[in-house]
Amino acid sequence: MGRTKLGSPRIATGVFALLCLGIGAGPTYAHKEKHTAEQLKAFDDAFMEQVKIGDLLFHGDEETQKRLGVTLSKTGTACAMCHPYASDTHPYQFPKYQEQMSAFATLRDMINWCIEKPSEGEKIDVSSDAMKALETYIYWSNKNSKLDPGTH
Amino acid sequence: MSDLELLRREMDRTLRVPGERPSDSTTLTRRTFLHRSLLRGVAGAAAYGLFPTLSTIDIAFAQTAQAFKFAWISDTHLYPKDFNTRFVEKSTRAIKEAQALSPPADFLMFGGDLAQLGNPVELQLGSDLLQEIKIKKFFIPGEHDWYLDMGATWNQMFGKAPWTFDHKGVRIVGLDTVSHAEDFWTSRKLTAKERMGHMATLDGTLGGAWAAVGNEQLTWLNSTLSNWPKDKPVIVFSHNPLYEYYPPWNFWVRDWREVHETLRPYTNVTNIHGHVHQPVYNEIGKLRSIGMLATSWPWPYPPEGVPILTRPMIRVDPGDPFDGVGWGHISEGADGRVDAQYKMWRKEVFATEQVDSGTGDNDNQILRPRVADRI
Repeated sequence: MGRTKLGSPRIATGVFALLCLGIGAGPTYAHKEKHTAEQLKAFDDAFMEQVKIGDLLFHGDEETQKRLGVTLSKTGTACAMCHPYASDTHPYQFPKYQEQMSAFATLRDMINWCIEKPSEGEKIDVSSDAMKALETYIYWSNKNSKLDPGTH
Repeated sequence: MSDLELLRREMDRTLRVPGERPSDSTTLTRRTFLHRSLLRGVAGAAAYGLFPTLSTIDIAFAQTAQAFKFAWISDTHLYPKDFNTRFVEKSTRAIKEAQALSPPADFLMFGGDLAQLGNPVELQLGSDLLQEIKIKKFFIPGEHDWYLDMGATWNQMFGKAPWTFDHKGVRIVGLDTVSHAEDFWTSRKLTAKERMGHMATLDGTLGGAWAAVGNEQLTWLNSTLSNWPKDKPVIVFSHNPLYEYYPPWNFWVRDWREVHETLRPYTNVTNIHGHVHQPVYNEIGKLRSIGMLATSWPWPYPPEGVPILTRPMIRVDPGDPFDGVGWGHISEGADGRVDAQYKMWRKEVFATEQVDSGTGDNDNQILRPRVADRI
């Protein structure tokens, strides 16, 4: 499966579960009614699904890269090699001026820069499923760190 | 105060009698000075591209008046040559510089993780690159060297650890801290490659607390040191640090308490280790530990547990593959003073401001173990 600009043609199972619960389809009643425990669990499952996909990509899993049509490294390196537990990714400091890019950057910009430069891979579409998954894992792994944007 | 702090203080109270500290005959200073070759205008300095400022930890073994110097290279993490050329380039650079030491080092200590995935091709590549080193070489394994074939190729090529020899008044010991992982692969029916893959992931879940010295080796260490005078210098080489630095990344050995008990009678022990890919220094009781650089890539300082005595390096520039890595040497002059030097390919090693420090993030950085490899 090649990369597509519209994202993966297969709907992830978490999102499918949400659709089955009537969320996201048809007129939106959800904001007028209290969330049920099942709905909240479905939101969480959809989130954790992306965390797991992002975790696999972050650690260089070949199968997941193939499935999402991305090449994050051509030299055997993976993000987690320099960033165990997604340490030193400091997602809570973005957006900021990023020295290495000589540009003002969001986390996604930095992810792509890292894929291209230290990891010697191919940049990915910033709106792709792979990018969202990587971002999800990085944020999840740094959860409860204090928001601190613009910090060098 | 964190649990780790409390534990360390308790260990220090237990292991060190009030008033006791690491031997006075071993003095410690830190200073920064310009590379000697620059002051003499040697052409070799131009190869650095910058003016390297070497920051040193000077350890003086006052009781031995003989001069010696040894080089340390570790954590090369080699892939096959055509697959990842950067790691080869960095190792080659360190090897060339170590061989070019003048006067030459007495021996080279290779501190483990020669290969990345334990592949005989990778180990052979490492061995071939190290042919450039003409002085005697000593080896201890890293986990990346071991878990494809449980050390078969490593032991055949580089010999078994532990080992010991005496050199100019110092008893030197090389330990194996990597072969004692608890078996997580048999029950899961993992292939050798899968086992190696899990062990090669620093933040992997299945390997667990794999780093250990083990009872057999502790007994061996005890008997090896038993006829050595208690106040004469001992150097213990290990891949992993011999204290509890950051267990989730195996920046420790799980039986570090027993190691310290075994080393307790000796007043002058220095542990030199790899695995952490960063400059780190600690003292617990009378034992000093010095963490050396990797040639392959640097690791961030963990969110907690960085020893208070560590002067962290300036945080790494991810855009420069040669930043944050290097090699080192420990040398002793004729007057008994010993320099432990980090040879980094950058202008300055240590940070002086929090904003420049590799630990600068740690006040705010909260991390969690990964989920996707819990099989």
